[in-house]
Amino acid sequence: MRIGALVLKRKSWEPLAFASPSLALIAIVIVFPLAYSFWLSFRNFDLAVGPDSEFVGGANYVEALVRDSRFLNSIWNTAIIIGPSLVLELLLGLGLALLLTRIGRGRPIITALLAIPAMVSPVMAAMTWRMMFGVKYGAINNLGRQLGVIDVYFDWFSNPFISIVAIVMVEVWHNTAFMTLVLLAGLQSIPTELYDAGKADGADGWRSFWYITLPLLKFTMVVGLMIRLIDLTKLFGLIFVLTYGGPGGATETVAFSTYLAGFNDFRMSYAAALSYVIVGGVLVLTLGFMWIQRYREMRAA
Amino acid sequence: MAIALDRPRTVSRSARALRVRRWVGTALTWVAVVAALLFFLGPFFWILTTSLKGNEDYFAYPPVWVPADASLKHYGALFTRSSGARYFTNSLVVSTLSMLAALLVSLPTAYSIARWRFGGGFLSLFLLVLRMLPAIALIIPLYIMYKLLGLTNSYLGLVIVYTVLYVPFAVWLLVGFLRDFPVEIEEAALIDGCSRLRALVSVVVPIIAPGLAVVALFSFIATWNEFLFAIVLTGIETKTMMVLVTSFTSGGTDMFYGEASASVVLGVLPAFIVAFVLQRYLVKGLALGGTKG
Repeated sequence: MRIGALVLKRKSWEPLAFASPSLALIAIVIVFPLAYSFWLSFRNFDLAVGPDSEFVGGANYVEALVRDSRFLNSIWNTAIIIGPSLVLELLLGLGLALLLTRIGRGRPIITALLAIPAMVSPVMAAMTWRMMFGVKYGAINNLGRQLGVIDVYFDWFSNPFISIVAIVMVEVWHNTAFMTLVLLAGLQSIPTELYDAGKADGADGWRSFWYITLPLLKFTMVVGLMIRLIDLTKLFGLIFVLTYGGPGGATETVAFSTYLAGFNDFRMSYAAALSYVIVGGVLVLTLGFMWIQRYREMRAA
Repeated sequence: MAIALDRPRTVSRSARALRVRRWVGTALTWVAVVAALLFFLGPFFWILTTSLKGNEDYFAYPPVWVPADASLKHYGALFTRSSGARYFTNSLVVSTLSMLAALLVSLPTAYSIARWRFGGGFLSLFLLVLRMLPAIALIIPLYIMYKLLGLTNSYLGLVIVYTVLYVPFAVWLLVGFLRDFPVEIEEAALIDGCSRLRALVSVVVPIIAPGLAVVALFSFIATWNEFLFAIVLTGIETKTMMVLVTSFTSGGTDMFYGEASASVVLGVLPAFIVAFVLQRYLVKGLALGGTKG
């Protein structure tokens, strides 16, 4: 008998029966609400007005994409937070991963220590830094004064540009470890023979990095960036704690402004429409990524 | 060798230069490592010392970096004045229940996928899509449904969402562990007349227990860290630590530092434990979204 044949042989109802509890739960708690939300997004359900609602066609979507300057601004805000965050996380992550490959003893423990920020919740990360940025008692102002870098207590979240910079910094602190771990795994999967062969051909240091490491790491980098990109479109907890969208809405992200539409203004239908705009955006980004990936594979083949 | 014998002095000099260069390289590496550790762990150190400071230390200039007379009184205040004990317990209860439920539901599904390729590639892809879904898209309809069903401000409501939210993640990880499991052991049990479910529970589970523990810890920390559903669906009795922490921000730019920092210390504690216990699995867990809310 072929190995595993007995295990693969089965009563026909068994696979479905085993899978059904989680499938049923996913259908009830995820799929149905999403369908309900989609239906809702074409109505004008508003909790502040009352339980009644009527069909309004695509009015919510038109408002979101044409007239709602607040939401359109939040798309821009999200983009200018995501861009620098991705670049910095990739560069810093790559640097740290290369650094970790250079140390022998103690690598596991240092890797685990560096990974801790990525394990804490966005809310806790943001709270830690919000306190660090605190005007009078914060570590940053106090350290700056002690070192003589600044001579006034500085309010880091009073200015839109500096607020964005601060958010990007916290985000980089929070999630660079993810990039580091992904790239470290990628680096370790490169066979050492390639470096030996490279050395025999006279490639060392920068050259072996440029011609061996980077090309072989490209795919890992793209995957890591893609995961970060998708997660960054959900940026919410960090904003909620650090700035609550301020000053003057300058740091409202798409997820945050949708939250405000739903749970501050109670415009449930409109919030549902906004959330579908976000889903659509994420879908376009993901498909675009997959398309580029396939195109590159085809060209390589 | 011939060349080396010809010019012994140059060789010894270049060997020394090489040794010096290697030493400098090692030194620079460790300087960079220390700088990275300072940047990534410094904030935690500062939060910890802040939570141990006396109130007079906050006003002191030059600032007090390490308190001379550390005390736990802010933790006491957090637990009593701010009902921190209750919210800490809430977080523990909700995370533990969701973790157990997620395991219970995911294991058979993962088994079905790993052994019978149930759903083909489609189901795996579907689970991956769910992982990318923005939580904000789900919270709006779910809030309305929960309001109608009276599930807001209840443990049950929160546990249901969290369980389902982490099923895709748990299934993905478990399928991997189950594929590594030798089928022969299971076959032996089946030949002895075990039912499939019996074999899963009494043969497979004990052997893949370490894998189950990994999944359990990841779902625990994910639930612990979750914020959006917690802040929308909980009320005054069922708040979790994540919600409690944000309540301190209402104090403006200079909030109530003692209790706020104490609650952050308690809130990040599980992350510290998990980062060390799960070292080997961190990449997988983080990539599959095991720790994000």
